[in-house]
Amino acid sequence: MKNMKRIILILMSIALVLLSLTACGKSPEVSDTTPSGPEQPEAQSYNIGICQLVQHEALDAATKGFRDALTDKLGDKVKFDEQNANGEPDISATICNQFVSSGVDLIMANATPALQAAQTSTNKIPILGTSVTDYGTALDIDDWTGKTGKNISGTSDLAPLDQQAAMLHEIFPDAHKVGIIYCSAEPNSKYQDKVITEHLTDMGYSVKSYTFSDSNDLQTVAKAAISENDVIYLPTDNTIASNAEIIKNIALPAKVPIIAGEEGICSASGGVATLSISYYDLGYTTGEMAYEILVNGKDPATMEIRYAPKFTKKYNPDICDTFGITLPDEYEAL
Amino acid sequence: MELIAYFLSLKPLNLLSALPGNIVQGIIWGIMALGVFITFRLLNFADLTVDGTFAAGGAVTVVLILAGIPAPIALAIATIVGLLGGLVTGFLHTILGIPDILAGILTQISFWSINLLVLDGANRAVNVDKYHLIVSLRNISSSIVTMLVFAAVLVSILYWYFGTEQGSAIRATGNNPQMVKAQGINIDFMKVLALGLSNCLVAFSGGLMSQFQGFADIKMGQGAIVIGLAAVIIGEVIGDALIGKYMNFYIKLVFVVLGGVIYYFVIGLVMWLRMPTDLLKLFTASVVAIFLAIPYLKAKTNNSFVFANKGGAQKNA
Repeated sequence: MKNMKRIILILMSIALVLLSLTACGKSPEVSDTTPSGPEQPEAQSYNIGICQLVQHEALDAATKGFRDALTDKLGDKVKFDEQNANGEPDISATICNQFVSSGVDLIMANATPALQAAQTSTNKIPILGTSVTDYGTALDIDDWTGKTGKNISGTSDLAPLDQQAAMLHEIFPDAHKVGIIYCSAEPNSKYQDKVITEHLTDMGYSVKSYTFSDSNDLQTVAKAAISENDVIYLPTDNTIASNAEIIKNIALPAKVPIIAGEEGICSASGGVATLSISYYDLGYTTGEMAYEILVNGKDPATMEIRYAPKFTKKYNPDICDTFGITLPDEYEAL
Repeated sequence: MELIAYFLSLKPLNLLSALPGNIVQGIIWGIMALGVFITFRLLNFADLTVDGTFAAGGAVTVVLILAGIPAPIALAIATIVGLLGGLVTGFLHTILGIPDILAGILTQISFWSINLLVLDGANRAVNVDKYHLIVSLRNISSSIVTMLVFAAVLVSILYWYFGTEQGSAIRATGNNPQMVKAQGINIDFMKVLALGLSNCLVAFSGGLMSQFQGFADIKMGQGAIVIGLAAVIIGEVIGDALIGKYMNFYIKLVFVVLGGVIYYFVIGLVMWLRMPTDLLKLFTASVVAIFLAIPYLKAKTNNSFVFANKGGAQKNA
């Protein structure tokens, strides 16, 4: 028994020592590689730090699109240090600190808190954001002109809310009451709620918002919303994306149709239709912006925030059959 | 071969250069851990209010700074909000008789709504280019000095306070409430006082954190209690291993702050090792477990009973 403990102790110490030894072992290798850089500027390699807020379908797709774009253009000349804050906002500060101190060539910040931490960490290294809806609010910039005027640019996942509202009107012209359900913890959802409420109110709907704090009270809130309204609108909300099943199980039996802000939510929540953006495309666009900055020397301060390259009207055939809705030909099946 | 290539790809200098940032973040959490230390260790009260008051500290600080109030005053007001949070938990527990964990949880979830109201949403940025902040990820070298001064001052104040009659009464309340009652001390008052003090520190730390990272987020307090507890325990264990029986109350407080620094160093280490990101928490937990286990196992092997046992076994043989 005592020997066992001693062995465990020794093994653990060795593990720690190995960790620290590897830390000391290879400084020469590093200095070997650095001088070769300036000789051949063509063969220069780029280090890119990716800071993603949380594991999530849409964010993962954006990160993948970003990596694919740069790998397509630069091949193995680009190296990624991909880190995930696992949902804890303050870890994104730890990650950005790591990136800045190791001198990456560009930081890609996926989601709002990641972008904010990146902005705080450096005003020199170029930063590209993605999956951020409203850059003016996220970065605390007063006169928002579409450009940040500093080392930051990126892509916005804002689906055109006026078109979303128009689509809702096209499908349900006779409805009176529209309920919007979203998570109170998500700044982007609140923004979408505000904007689409204005559009829908202008069209003559009476609109009411229903917020929940986490998945535990979603069911209660969704029940209330569905029983009080003719149509439900779901914005691009991460918490709804993870719990769309709950809404589907309440809305379908109650025969209340759903319009969703995004494809994944639409199919999971049993929604009728959506105006869809692809987070992969969004990430890919961000990757192309990174290429322009790294290789063509563009200044992020002068680059406009870009939006998803295309929007597609999509519908859910099964659900439309259930509700007996027929849609114009321009809608694609999900 | 791949393993060697992996080890060669790690750059030790990067670990070192990231260290100052990790230290600042660690001290900020270490101050939060001081608050947790007061309730969990001194008062023996499992207070879960801190998840709420940490985020509240951040939210209030950011909103006030955005409203044009200087950062130090904003931070002071945030600290008072933390005090109120602690008092509410104390009220629920002592006057309404709600068990400690539940009382803390109730206050904590109320703060979710309050913080949403304060922030007018889920997230507000405070731009370091526009406001004069006390600490920031942008100026790590000055932040580190500021944080060291803050930590030293707070530890000294706490050391002094827990040596006064009132502070000693709080410690005694945690140790032996019956005895304290017999001395004619109002233990309910002591509990409320300690909860208020603890949550002051937590909100103060939340206010510093929001300035450091440049934003306040409704989720920034989630899991704060776990980090705080980890820091307290890491600090205690490591302090015990290094100083052992010479540990006094002052050094104990210093090691609680140090516990936070070590926790963030470990996270930095795991990131630097470029482990698969989905496993970040697993690796963090493992490395912390190794840190905690080594002094314990070492103490076991160095235990005088073990020597005595060995000697006896040899004699008998």
